[in-house]
Amino acid sequence: MTDVQIAVMKVRDILLVTMPADPDDLTVTSLQDQVLQSMGKFNARGLVLDISAVESLDSFFARTVVETARMVGLMGGRTVLTGMHPSVAITATQLGFTLGNVITALDVDRALDILADTKRMPGKK
Amino acid sequence: MAKTKSNSASPIADEDMGSDLSFRLLVQSVKDYAIIMLDPEGLVSSWNEGAQRFKGYLAEEIIGKNFSIFYTPEDIQSGKPEQELKIAAEQGRFEDEGWRVRKDGSKFWANVVITALRGPDGSLQGFGKVTRDLTERKQVEIALAQKAVNEALARRSQEILDISTPVVQVWEGVILAPLIGSLDSQRTQQLMEKLLEGIVDTRSTVALVDITGVPTVDTQTGRHLVETMSAVHLLGADVILTGVRPAIAQTLVHLGIDLGEVTTRSSLAAGLRTAMEMLHLHVTSDK
Repeated sequence: MTDVQIAVMKVRDILLVTMPADPDDLTVTSLQDQVLQSMGKFNARGLVLDISAVESLDSFFARTVVETARMVGLMGGRTVLTGMHPSVAITATQLGFTLGNVITALDVDRALDILADTKRMPGKK
Repeated sequence: MAKTKSNSASPIADEDMGSDLSFRLLVQSVKDYAIIMLDPEGLVSSWNEGAQRFKGYLAEEIIGKNFSIFYTPEDIQSGKPEQELKIAAEQGRFEDEGWRVRKDGSKFWANVVITALRGPDGSLQGFGKVTRDLTERKQVEIALAQKAVNEALARRSQEILDISTPVVQVWEGVILAPLIGSLDSQRTQQLMEKLLEGIVDTRSTVALVDITGVPTVDTQTGRHLVETMSAVHLLGADVILTGVRPAIAQTLVHLGIDLGEVTTRSSLAAGLRTAMEMLHLHVTSDK
């Protein structure tokens, strides 16, 4: 039932996932399962998680994103989170949600740039 | 407002008023108006239910007392009660709105009409005084005025906030927020919103936050700045904090404020150079 809401797209060696506007806990859990299965199946090099439709972020979603990024990392991929809304970012900061060292990008284009250039650690000097 | 009434020598003032029993009963039982009579000296000579309700005195307590007891000390000081009677005697009628005092000391907003009562020979018999309690209306007026003032103030401080937190694009992919004045929670919130919106609108990946115009940095300000930077990171952009003067650098270290992974530079120029480097841009001269 929840599988319907998320499509994991494979573009070359990158996985692309767009989150629905108001993801419930089941959707978020199913996101992790599907992403990890696809990572194994396609031997992908990276994951782009687009949350531009998401209007509110809860702690469970934030934690799952961080965990998923670490799991993807263990499977040899890098995760880039893109398209966070300003209001979501403000709420997340004020509530003290941290995304650990998950890489963020303004949009999918830039996320793909980051994944294409694996030597460059974006943002940190 | 005060105008002469030619028929002020009305039957009320007449000797045979007492004989008109039903009329007296009417006046005495009216509850929505305080209708009282004063003698020419201003002493209370009759009292009705409305007066008792508004002012709190029983008829036996007040009859024979001077009517200035209903006025505020300031009004008594300035001779207002006597002045009102004088005008009423000269012009036949006096009308006023103002604060009056109840028996318990509380104030009420009253509309007062004082009419001179003259006998058939034209001699002054006393005064009729009709008072209405308009406190509720006055309170609504005061509340509305206060609300207007508050709204104007809120609008003004919003305008100041808007002016004091500009966010401008200085290069493709680089936006700048020059901060002037102290950073409180409200301004930081404003800065955060405008900076993040600016980043999304201009698709900028580097945001310069210049604190050259910020007089001092304390623990609170430091935390606000770190919050702003974290939010910017979440969007996928980077912040360079510029304008870190020697005094500010000392304060930050002495207070033990950790700005985390934020890139900092002493001047805006140095920050802009760093921003260019982050975008893999190089400034070269033809000469």
